[in-house]
Amino acid sequence: MSGDHHNTDDSGPAARVKALEAILTEKGMLDPAALDAVVDLYETRVGPRNGARVVAKAWTDAEYRKRLLANATAAVRELGFAGPEGGHLVAVENTDRVHNLVVCTLCSCYPWPVLGLPPVWYKSFAYRSRAVSDPRGVLKDFGLELSADVEVRVWDSSAEIRYLVIPQRPKDTDGMSEDELAAIVTRDSMVGVEKIAPPARAGAKRARA
Amino acid sequence: MSTAALNKLIEVARLDPEHVFSAPWEARAFAIALKLSESGLFTWDEFRDHLIAEVRASDRIRARDGTSDHGEYYDHFLRALERLLAEKGIATSNERES
Repeated sequence: MSGDHHNTDDSGPAARVKALEAILTEKGMLDPAALDAVVDLYETRVGPRNGARVVAKAWTDAEYRKRLLANATAAVRELGFAGPEGGHLVAVENTDRVHNLVVCTLCSCYPWPVLGLPPVWYKSFAYRSRAVSDPRGVLKDFGLELSADVEVRVWDSSAEIRYLVIPQRPKDTDGMSEDELAAIVTRDSMVGVEKIAPPARAGAKRARA
Repeated sequence: MSTAALNKLIEVARLDPEHVFSAPWEARAFAIALKLSESGLFTWDEFRDHLIAEVRASDRIRARDGTSDHGEYYDHFLRALERLLAEKGIATSNERES
Protein backbone atom coordinates (compact mmCIF):
# COMPACT_ATOMS: atom_id res chain seq x y z
CA MET A 1 0.00 0.00 0.00
CA SER A 2 2.16 2.83 -1.15
CA GLY A 3 -0.52 4.99 -2.70
CA ASP A 4 0.17 7.97 -0.50
CA HIS A 5 0.01 10.51 -3.26
CA HIS A 6 -2.98 12.36 -1.91
CA ASN A 7 -1.85 14.20 1.15
CA THR A 8 -4.92 16.15 2.13
CA ASP A 9 -5.39 14.04 5.26
CA ASP A 10 -2.80 13.67 7.95
CA SER A 11 -3.81 10.24 9.09
CA GLY A 12 -3.86 7.01 7.13
CA PRO A 13 -7.05 5.44 5.88
CA ALA A 14 -7.28 2.87 8.67
CA ALA A 15 -7.29 5.64 11.30
CA ARG A 16 -9.84 7.67 9.33
CA VAL A 17 -12.19 4.72 9.01
CA LYS A 18 -11.82 3.99 12.70
CA ALA A 19 -12.63 7.61 13.56
CA LEU A 20 -15.69 7.62 11.30
CA GLU A 21 -16.94 4.38 12.78
CA ALA A 22 -16.51 5.71 16.32
CA ILE A 23 -18.39 8.93 15.59
CA LEU A 24 -21.22 7.23 13.77
CA THR A 25 -21.54 4.64 16.51
CA GLU A 26 -21.56 7.35 19.15
CA LYS A 27 -24.36 9.13 17.28
CA GLY A 28 -26.34 5.92 17.18
CA MET A 29 -26.20 5.72 13.39
CA LEU A 30 -24.16 2.54 13.23
CA ASP A 31 -24.00 -0.76 15.04
CA PRO A 32 -20.47 -2.22 14.90
CA ALA A 33 -21.88 -5.74 15.05
CA ALA A 34 -23.88 -5.02 11.92
CA LEU A 35 -20.65 -4.02 10.19
CA ASP A 36 -19.08 -7.34 11.11
CA ALA A 37 -22.07 -9.08 9.58
CA VAL A 38 -21.75 -7.14 6.31
CA VAL A 39 -18.04 -7.88 6.05
CA ASP A 40 -18.63 -11.55 6.73
CA LEU A 41 -21.41 -11.66 4.16
CA TYR A 42 -19.29 -10.19 1.37
CA GLU A 43 -16.09 -11.97 2.33
CA THR A 44 -17.52 -15.42 2.65
CA ARG A 45 -21.05 -15.82 1.35
CA VAL A 46 -21.92 -13.45 -1.49
CA GLY A 47 -19.46 -14.29 -4.23
CA PRO A 48 -18.89 -15.89 -7.61
CA ARG A 49 -20.05 -19.28 -6.39
CA ASN A 50 -23.57 -17.85 -6.67
CA GLY A 51 -23.07 -16.91 -10.29
CA ALA A 52 -21.53 -20.31 -10.95
CA ARG A 53 -24.76 -21.96 -9.77
CA VAL A 54 -26.76 -19.77 -12.13
CA VAL A 55 -24.52 -20.65 -15.07
CA ALA A 56 -24.51 -24.37 -14.31
CA LYS A 57 -28.29 -24.37 -14.14
CA ALA A 58 -28.54 -22.49 -17.43
CA TRP A 59 -26.25 -25.08 -19.02
CA THR A 60 -28.33 -28.01 -17.84
CA ASP A 61 -31.87 -26.68 -17.89
CA ALA A 62 -33.01 -25.22 -21.23
CA GLU A 63 -36.13 -23.65 -19.72
CA TYR A 64 -34.09 -21.95 -17.01
CA ARG A 65 -31.65 -20.66 -19.63
CA LYS A 66 -34.56 -19.06 -21.48
CA ARG A 67 -35.85 -17.44 -18.32
CA LEU A 68 -32.37 -16.20 -17.46
CA LEU A 69 -31.89 -14.59 -20.85
CA ALA A 70 -35.38 -13.07 -20.73
CA ASN A 71 -35.20 -11.71 -17.18
CA ALA A 72 -32.02 -12.38 -15.29
CA THR A 73 -33.11 -10.56 -12.13
CA ALA A 74 -36.08 -12.89 -11.71
CA ALA A 75 -34.21 -16.03 -12.78
CA VAL A 76 -31.39 -15.37 -10.33
CA ARG A 77 -33.88 -14.74 -7.57
CA GLU A 78 -35.35 -18.20 -8.19
CA LEU A 79 -32.07 -19.53 -6.79
CA GLY A 80 -32.24 -17.19 -3.83
CA PHE A 81 -29.79 -14.57 -5.07
CA ALA A 82 -30.86 -10.95 -4.71
CA GLY A 83 -29.74 -7.79 -2.95
CA PRO A 84 -27.91 -4.52 -3.54
CA GLU A 85 -26.62 -4.04 -7.10
CA GLY A 86 -28.85 -6.85 -8.29
CA GLY A 87 -32.00 -4.89 -9.07
CA HIS A 88 -31.61 -4.91 -12.83
CA LEU A 89 -29.55 -7.83 -13.98
CA VAL A 90 -28.99 -8.82 -17.61
CA ALA A 91 -27.44 -12.12 -18.70
CA VAL A 92 -25.46 -12.17 -21.94
CA GLU A 93 -24.45 -15.44 -23.50
CA ASN A 94 -21.17 -16.35 -25.16
CA THR A 95 -21.36 -18.47 -28.30
CA ASP A 96 -18.99 -19.58 -31.05
CA ARG A 97 -19.67 -16.25 -32.79
CA VAL A 98 -20.07 -13.79 -29.93
CA HIS A 99 -17.91 -13.05 -26.92
CA ASN A 100 -19.19 -10.71 -24.19
CA LEU A 101 -17.03 -8.59 -21.92
CA VAL A 102 -18.24 -6.52 -18.96
CA VAL A 103 -16.70 -3.33 -17.60
CA CYS A 104 -17.74 -0.30 -15.58
CA THR A 105 -15.85 2.60 -17.09
CA LEU A 106 -16.86 5.14 -14.43
CA CYS A 107 -16.20 3.28 -11.22
CA SER A 108 -16.79 -0.33 -10.32
CA CYS A 109 -20.43 -1.32 -10.83
CA TYR A 110 -20.69 -5.08 -10.64
CA PRO A 111 -23.50 -7.61 -10.06
CA TRP A 112 -22.94 -8.24 -6.35
CA PRO A 113 -25.62 -10.89 -5.72
CA VAL A 114 -24.09 -13.25 -8.29
CA LEU A 115 -20.41 -12.29 -8.32
CA GLY A 116 -19.77 -10.62 -4.96
CA LEU A 117 -17.50 -7.58 -4.91
CA PRO A 118 -15.25 -6.89 -7.90
CA PRO A 119 -11.60 -7.96 -8.03
CA VAL A 120 -8.83 -5.40 -8.01
CA TRP A 121 -8.16 -5.48 -11.77
CA TYR A 122 -11.83 -4.76 -12.56
CA LYS A 123 -11.57 -1.49 -10.64
CA SER A 124 -8.22 -0.51 -12.15
CA PHE A 125 -7.70 2.38 -14.53
CA ALA A 126 -5.85 -0.01 -16.84
CA TYR A 127 -8.93 -2.19 -17.29
CA ARG A 128 -11.59 0.52 -17.24
CA SER A 129 -9.79 2.71 -19.74
CA ARG A 130 -9.03 -0.02 -22.25
CA ALA A 131 -11.91 -2.49 -22.16
CA VAL A 132 -14.05 -0.36 -24.47
CA SER A 133 -11.38 0.98 -26.81
CA ASP A 134 -9.28 -2.18 -27.08
CA PRO A 135 -11.23 -5.20 -25.83
CA ARG A 136 -9.19 -7.70 -27.82
CA GLY A 137 -5.99 -6.27 -26.37
CA VAL A 138 -7.40 -6.56 -22.85
CA LEU A 139 -8.49 -10.14 -23.49
CA LYS A 140 -5.01 -10.92 -24.76
CA ASP A 141 -3.64 -9.64 -21.45
CA PHE A 142 -5.83 -12.21 -19.78
CA GLY A 143 -4.43 -14.87 -22.09
CA LEU A 144 -7.49 -15.10 -24.30
CA GLU A 145 -7.02 -14.70 -28.03
CA LEU A 146 -10.21 -14.73 -30.03
CA SER A 147 -10.26 -15.43 -33.72
CA ALA A 148 -11.15 -12.51 -35.98
CA ASP A 149 -14.58 -13.89 -36.86
CA VAL A 150 -15.75 -13.77 -33.23
CA GLU A 151 -17.63 -10.58 -32.47
CA VAL A 152 -16.65 -8.97 -29.17
CA ARG A 153 -19.46 -7.14 -27.37
CA VAL A 154 -18.50 -4.86 -24.52
CA TRP A 155 -21.11 -4.03 -21.90
CA ASP A 156 -20.54 -0.93 -19.81
CA SER A 157 -22.41 -1.31 -16.56
CA SER A 158 -22.25 2.35 -15.65
CA ALA A 159 -26.00 2.90 -15.63
CA GLU A 160 -28.49 0.84 -13.67
CA ILE A 161 -27.93 -2.42 -15.47
CA ARG A 162 -25.52 -5.06 -14.17
CA TYR A 163 -24.34 -7.79 -16.52
CA LEU A 164 -23.56 -11.45 -16.04
CA VAL A 165 -21.78 -13.33 -18.81
CA ILE A 166 -22.92 -16.89 -19.40
CA PRO A 167 -19.70 -18.51 -20.56
CA GLN A 168 -19.66 -21.36 -23.04
CA ARG A 169 -19.91 -24.80 -21.57
CA PRO A 170 -16.65 -26.58 -22.29
CA LYS A 171 -16.58 -29.73 -24.38
CA ASP A 172 -16.29 -33.11 -22.72
CA THR A 173 -18.61 -32.16 -19.88
CA ASP A 174 -21.70 -34.06 -21.01
CA GLY A 175 -21.80 -36.45 -18.12
CA MET A 176 -21.25 -33.87 -15.42
CA SER A 177 -23.88 -32.97 -12.87
CA GLU A 178 -25.04 -29.43 -12.20
CA ASP A 179 -22.93 -29.35 -9.02
CA GLU A 180 -19.84 -30.56 -10.84
CA LEU A 181 -20.40 -27.99 -13.56
CA ALA A 182 -20.84 -25.19 -11.02
CA ALA A 183 -17.43 -26.10 -9.61
CA ILE A 184 -15.65 -25.38 -12.91
CA VAL A 185 -17.29 -22.00 -13.59
CA THR A 186 -14.85 -19.23 -12.75
CA ARG A 187 -15.47 -15.65 -11.72
CA ASP A 188 -13.37 -14.31 -14.58
CA SER A 189 -15.40 -16.27 -17.13
CA MET A 190 -18.57 -14.58 -15.86
CA VAL A 191 -17.01 -11.14 -16.43
CA GLY A 192 -15.93 -12.31 -19.87
CA VAL A 193 -12.16 -12.19 -19.55
CA GLU A 194 -11.58 -15.91 -19.86
CA LYS A 195 -13.06 -19.09 -21.26
CA ILE A 196 -13.64 -22.10 -19.12
CA ALA A 197 -11.14 -24.83 -19.79
CA PRO A 198 -12.42 -28.39 -20.02
CA PRO A 199 -11.93 -30.08 -16.66
CA ALA A 200 -8.89 -32.31 -16.38
CA ARG A 201 -10.47 -34.69 -13.94
CA ALA A 202 -8.85 -37.88 -12.84
CA GLY A 203 -11.02 -40.67 -14.16
CA ALA A 204 -12.76 -38.37 -16.61
CA LYS A 205 -14.85 -40.20 -19.13
CA ARG A 206 -12.32 -40.54 -21.86
CA ALA A 207 -8.79 -39.29 -21.94
CA ARG A 208 -8.50 -36.43 -24.35
CA ALA A 209 -5.72 -36.73 -26.86
CA MET B 1 -1.89 2.80 -20.40
CA SER B 2 0.52 -0.04 -20.26
CA THR B 3 -0.41 -3.64 -20.54
CA ALA B 4 2.12 -4.38 -17.83
CA ALA B 5 0.03 -2.53 -15.27
CA LEU B 6 -3.04 -4.62 -15.96
CA ASN B 7 -1.00 -7.80 -16.04
CA LYS B 8 0.32 -7.09 -12.59
CA LEU B 9 -3.19 -6.65 -11.24
CA ILE B 10 -4.36 -9.80 -12.96
CA GLU B 11 -1.49 -11.68 -11.41
CA VAL B 12 -2.38 -10.38 -7.96
CA ALA B 13 -5.99 -11.47 -8.45
CA ARG B 14 -4.93 -14.90 -9.67
CA LEU B 15 -2.86 -15.55 -6.58
CA ASP B 16 -5.92 -15.19 -4.44
CA PRO B 17 -9.06 -15.43 -6.55
CA GLU B 18 -11.52 -15.02 -3.70
CA HIS B 19 -9.73 -12.02 -2.33
CA VAL B 20 -12.17 -9.13 -1.90
CA PHE B 21 -10.46 -6.59 0.38
CA SER B 22 -6.73 -5.91 0.65
CA ALA B 23 -6.87 -4.55 4.19
CA PRO B 24 -9.37 -4.67 7.05
CA TRP B 25 -10.08 -0.93 6.79
CA GLU B 26 -11.31 -1.42 3.22
CA ALA B 27 -13.87 -3.94 4.41
CA ARG B 28 -14.89 -1.63 7.23
CA ALA B 29 -15.31 1.37 4.93
CA PHE B 30 -17.41 -0.69 2.56
CA ALA B 31 -19.62 -1.96 5.36
CA ILE B 32 -20.10 1.54 6.81
CA ALA B 33 -21.19 2.93 3.43
CA LEU B 34 -23.56 0.05 2.77
CA LYS B 35 -25.12 0.15 6.24
CA LEU B 36 -25.64 3.91 6.21
CA SER B 37 -27.29 3.75 2.81
CA GLU B 38 -29.50 0.90 4.00
CA SER B 39 -30.60 2.96 6.94
CA GLY B 40 -31.53 5.80 4.59
CA LEU B 41 -28.91 8.42 5.48
CA PHE B 42 -28.12 8.58 1.78
CA THR B 43 -28.91 6.52 -1.28
CA TRP B 44 -26.35 4.24 -2.89
CA ASP B 45 -26.71 6.33 -6.06
CA GLU B 46 -25.68 9.44 -4.15
CA PHE B 47 -22.69 7.56 -2.84
CA ARG B 48 -21.84 6.26 -6.30
CA ASP B 49 -21.88 9.79 -7.72
CA HIS B 50 -19.27 10.79 -5.17
CA LEU B 51 -17.25 7.68 -5.89
CA ILE B 52 -17.36 8.37 -9.62
CA ALA B 53 -16.13 11.92 -8.99
CA GLU B 54 -13.17 10.64 -6.97
CA VAL B 55 -12.32 7.97 -9.53
CA ARG B 56 -12.61 10.47 -12.37
CA ALA B 57 -10.23 12.91 -10.69
CA SER B 58 -7.70 10.13 -10.26
CA ASP B 59 -8.20 8.87 -13.82
CA ARG B 60 -7.51 12.34 -15.18
CA ILE B 61 -4.18 12.45 -13.40
CA ARG B 62 -3.33 8.95 -14.61
CA ALA B 63 -4.21 9.83 -18.19
CA ARG B 64 -2.21 13.05 -18.04
CA ASP B 65 0.87 11.51 -16.45
CA GLY B 66 0.66 8.14 -18.16
CA THR B 67 0.82 6.38 -14.82
CA SER B 68 -1.12 3.35 -13.66
CA ASP B 69 -2.93 2.73 -10.44
CA HIS B 70 -2.04 -0.01 -8.03
CA GLY B 71 -5.25 -0.86 -6.31
CA GLU B 72 -6.07 2.37 -4.47
CA TYR B 73 -9.76 2.04 -5.25
CA TYR B 74 -10.76 2.00 -1.59
CA ASP B 75 -8.85 5.24 -1.04
CA HIS B 76 -11.29 6.79 -3.51
CA PHE B 77 -14.12 4.95 -1.82
CA LEU B 78 -13.23 6.30 1.62
CA ARG B 79 -12.76 9.84 0.35
CA ALA B 80 -16.14 9.68 -1.39
CA LEU B 81 -17.75 8.50 1.84
CA GLU B 82 -16.07 11.24 3.88
CA ARG B 83 -17.14 13.93 1.42
CA LEU B 84 -20.71 12.72 1.32
CA LEU B 85 -21.00 12.51 5.11
CA ALA B 86 -19.50 15.96 5.49
CA GLU B 87 -21.77 17.47 2.82
CA LYS B 88 -24.81 16.03 4.51
CA GLY B 89 -23.61 17.23 7.88
CA ILE B 90 -23.71 13.68 9.21
CA ALA B 91 -20.13 13.33 10.38
CA THR B 92 -16.55 14.24 9.74
CA SER B 93 -13.64 12.02 10.69
CA ASN B 94 -11.91 14.73 12.74
CA GLU B 95 -15.00 15.62 14.77
CA ARG B 96 -13.66 13.96 17.88
CA GLU B 97 -10.32 15.65 17.93
CA SER B 98 -11.56 18.79 19.64
